[in-house]
Amino acid sequence: MLSLLIVVPFLSVIIFNLPFFNRGRGFIFWWSLLLFGAQAVLSFFLTIPSYATSFQLPGSMFKFGLMLDGLSILMLLCIGIVASLTLVVAASVHKDQRRKFNFINLLLFAVSGMNAVVLVADIFSLYVFIEITAVASYVLISFEKDLRAMSATFKYIVLSIVASVFMLLSIAILLLITGSTHFMAIHQALPRSEHTFLAMLAVGLFISGLSVKAGLVPFHAWLPDVYSHSSAAVSLFLAGIVSKILGVYALIRVVSFVFMPDASVDMVILSIGLLSIFIAALAALAQSDLKRMLAYSSISQVGYIMLGLGCATPLGMAAAAFHFFNHTIFKSLLFVNAAALELETGTTDMHRMGGLSKTMPVTGFTSVLASLSAAGVPPLAGFWSKLLIVIALWQTGHFAIAFAAILASVLTLSYLLAMQRMVFFGKLRQDLAHTHEAGFGLVLASIVLAFIVVAAGLFFPFILDVFILPVRFFVGG
Amino acid sequence: MNKLLFLPILIPLAAALGTFFVPHRLRKVRECITLSATAANFLLTLFLFKNDCVYILPWLGPSFEFSLRLYRFSAFIMLAVNGFGFLISLYSVFFMSAKAHLRQFYSYFLITIAFACGAVLSDNLFLMLFFWEGLLLVLFGMIAIGSNHAFKAATKAFIITGIADLCMMIGIALCGYLAGTLTMSKINLPLQGMSVVAFILLMIGAISKAGSMPFHSWIPDAAIASDVPFMALVPAVLEKLLGIYFLTRISLDLFQLNPASWLSVLLMIIGSGTILLAVMMALIQKNYKRLLSYHAISQVGYMILGIGTALPIGIVGGLFHMINNAIYKSALFLTAGSVEKQTGTADLEVLGGLMKKMPVTFVCFAVTAVSISGVPPFNGFFSKELIYEAALSRGLIFYLAAIIGSFFTAASFLKLGHAVFFGGVSEKNKSAQEASWGMLVPMIVLSLFCILFGLFNSVPLAKLIAPVLGQERLHGHSFTVFPLNLKLTIATVIVLVLAFLNHIFGVKMSGSGLHAADHIRRAPLLRGVYDRAERRFFDPYDVGRIFLKRMCAIAFWVDRKIDWLYEGVVAKFIVWLAGVIKRRHTENYSVYLGWALAGLSLVVVFLFYSIKGR
Repeated sequence: MLSLLIVVPFLSVIIFNLPFFNRGRGFIFWWSLLLFGAQAVLSFFLTIPSYATSFQLPGSMFKFGLMLDGLSILMLLCIGIVASLTLVVAASVHKDQRRKFNFINLLLFAVSGMNAVVLVADIFSLYVFIEITAVASYVLISFEKDLRAMSATFKYIVLSIVASVFMLLSIAILLLITGSTHFMAIHQALPRSEHTFLAMLAVGLFISGLSVKAGLVPFHAWLPDVYSHSSAAVSLFLAGIVSKILGVYALIRVVSFVFMPDASVDMVILSIGLLSIFIAALAALAQSDLKRMLAYSSISQVGYIMLGLGCATPLGMAAAAFHFFNHTIFKSLLFVNAAALELETGTTDMHRMGGLSKTMPVTGFTSVLASLSAAGVPPLAGFWSKLLIVIALWQTGHFAIAFAAILASVLTLSYLLAMQRMVFFGKLRQDLAHTHEAGFGLVLASIVLAFIVVAAGLFFPFILDVFILPVRFFVGG
Repeated sequence: MNKLLFLPILIPLAAALGTFFVPHRLRKVRECITLSATAANFLLTLFLFKNDCVYILPWLGPSFEFSLRLYRFSAFIMLAVNGFGFLISLYSVFFMSAKAHLRQFYSYFLITIAFACGAVLSDNLFLMLFFWEGLLLVLFGMIAIGSNHAFKAATKAFIITGIADLCMMIGIALCGYLAGTLTMSKINLPLQGMSVVAFILLMIGAISKAGSMPFHSWIPDAAIASDVPFMALVPAVLEKLLGIYFLTRISLDLFQLNPASWLSVLLMIIGSGTILLAVMMALIQKNYKRLLSYHAISQVGYMILGIGTALPIGIVGGLFHMINNAIYKSALFLTAGSVEKQTGTADLEVLGGLMKKMPVTFVCFAVTAVSISGVPPFNGFFSKELIYEAALSRGLIFYLAAIIGSFFTAASFLKLGHAVFFGGVSEKNKSAQEASWGMLVPMIVLSLFCILFGLFNSVPLAKLIAPVLGQERLHGHSFTVFPLNLKLTIATVIVLVLAFLNHIFGVKMSGSGLHAADHIRRAPLLRGVYDRAERRFFDPYDVGRIFLKRMCAIAFWVDRKIDWLYEGVVAKFIVWLAGVIKRRHTENYSVYLGWALAGLSLVVVFLFYSIKGR
């Protein structure tokens, strides 16, 4: 059952590309939409914990198995939502049938990889599927084939390879000192290991490697270039889900379920989180390019997730997962809006926009909602998750960090409001008088996301009970 | 029977709704509704008068029930409220005929009566507060519709009364907390500790409702800006009745005010201060209605002084004065309305010689003016005598304040009557004639009551007022025969004669009735005080406004400084920092790679260092 989530998208790619299947290619959009939508809906009904039969190749020491817990379900939901919306946006951005087909193929490929990332139960498989997804995203980024996109891809590849080296090294060390790559086995063996220095080296390497993938300061530098130079749908997909799953989810998984509980590791996570929040927020303040600003904002918000994770308490975990979900939603919404703006005005430079809420009211309104949620204004969803993070920090005695997190919200609000003012408010610029709402797909996507932002805020207790609190429970197997 | 207690509130409310929805063309219908509603209410209270009953409905919660209680005191006040309500509605029908905002006027008028009935009947402090605050809203409306520039006066009334009501609200909360209940008939607190605070807060609510200083300053402004029937009903009657009713309730029932308490002295000081200061201001007014409004304030002083003595004779005097004042003050405002309606002005400089033109109005004015001045055997004389006696037994100074107040009262009414009804008729008033019958009837009825309550003073005293205190609190005083004190009576008569001589002297000095008080206005010492009072130095509202403006200026200055700190220091620093960070992102991946490696080394070194210490 669980393996279907990985196999079906992968098989779809193969089947649609079979030479005799030419006529069916037109259906790939609807089929993918059905697939991603089904995944989002299915995540409500999956039972936890559940395991797929694991198998071991004869003579191999790797045991491949799948498992599903509360965290994975939340991730499956996020993947489903963002992938469907990316699909819709891509369909309205790419008119050329062939390009559209290629794009959707890559999308299916990446979703297959991400589903595997959130379901696997050993670190080596985790690494492998991270790489598979990353390869799909390299191609996606360079999809535009212009020079800037190419150079951004190159930067991403270089830093990703460095991250891969870190992670592989770490996996080798872990295998050496614990004799296994399975999450549970490592979790049990690592604290008892005599090689404390080696263990710490492995932990440090793994965290650093994943921080590169997640784009955390100081490992973040590839991210703004990639987000701002890739096409609209791609930046939505990358910012909304890919880097979150590859980096942030993997970090949450290894830090809280694989590595031993350790105060210094928590301290490292907290420091990286706080650094990301402030540096990225300040950098976002100085940007004039809309997508670049959103990229920095992503880094800053991921910093909040790290703060929740760094608490190492069940509440902190739940808060981190909830902020993960909220961030996925509101950042996707902002990127959808950015896509609409790019499509209509032909630029992402905020200085060349102004008063656009006159001609693009839906985009303007949903963007305000997303900004407020990002800044943590009640009763929108972002408020609750930030509140939980601050409470978790307070409970663990990190008063100064809690205070700093609240203070950073002001920075968040300031750069997002500055964006609103420059782009949407005020008098409509003369040269933008011809603009209008960009296509049905984009409007639909932004309305759906805005609805989730508001609903998740208003029905916060329901979301908390069904999706967030199950995250706390440790599931091995 | 007890279910009927709802009706005095419900009838006017329903009628108010009705008048509000009657179209403009059917003016007569609206007037009929108003008249019949007030008449029905009056008859109903007459019918209910002798009853003693309670009606309780569940409302907001356990201690917030909708409880109404009719007993001798509330029945007496109800009778007065509805009696005046009926007479003044009759007057309004004729007086208001040519005015604008009639729809709102009649609605507010009826709502005012309904809420006043509600406030008097309610036996729950919270319920009473509900009606009390409701009155504040209609008060604002009634003043605001008076004229084009009445909005300022209305706001002033709203703010002053609102502040006092806020005090009362806190007082009620405190009182409920201390007593454990909000039911008025169950509360009985000794005056000590926190309950002193509660008493003072409730007292502020009560005396500000009655219009005592320092919560008075909206009344003279409203007198100019608003319609006469409003002045004759609300500040002259309803507010006095409610305020003094509540003051009596808190001093007699809710708390036990005794003569030994310093609160009694405080009340007496407020009372005598109000008498003197307000009457001094009344003396120099040059507008009919404004002059009367200062007397409306000054007379409250007598009532508060009487009740503040905490002696049975003083309380009886205070309550008797309350009803007497309601009668003559209301009638005086009505005469002002008649004169204004005929001549188009209330300015004393313009008025004059109306005695021949408006003889009935003049007679009514004369009767009520001598009543307010305390000339025997009119009603004002008897209530003042009771207060004098009580005040004298508490201290000579309070008696002196009261008697000097009487002197100025008499002087200012001599001046007013002289200016309006005597002297030559000016060009503008040539066409003036007697007011219509509907306006005369209320005045005549009220003037008759002035005489009746004077001649047969034992009827209201023994039947209406003495039962309020009850036998044991009267300490054997009986009011079936008036307890006349010969020495005090002689003193009063001497003072009145002096006031008359003073008036003649003043007229001789200045040559006109209007300026008969100018020698007092220009007296040394008083002159400076008057000058400042006319520039509103003593109006708490204006002083408060100036104070607030200064506070605002200071707050703004502080705000600018904080803003500078933020804009100039914090924001600039952040922008600088943001710029530095931005410039470091050179899109050069070797640099980026360096950062990642540096980060890795930092993480690993930190982790090594941390386990080394273990």
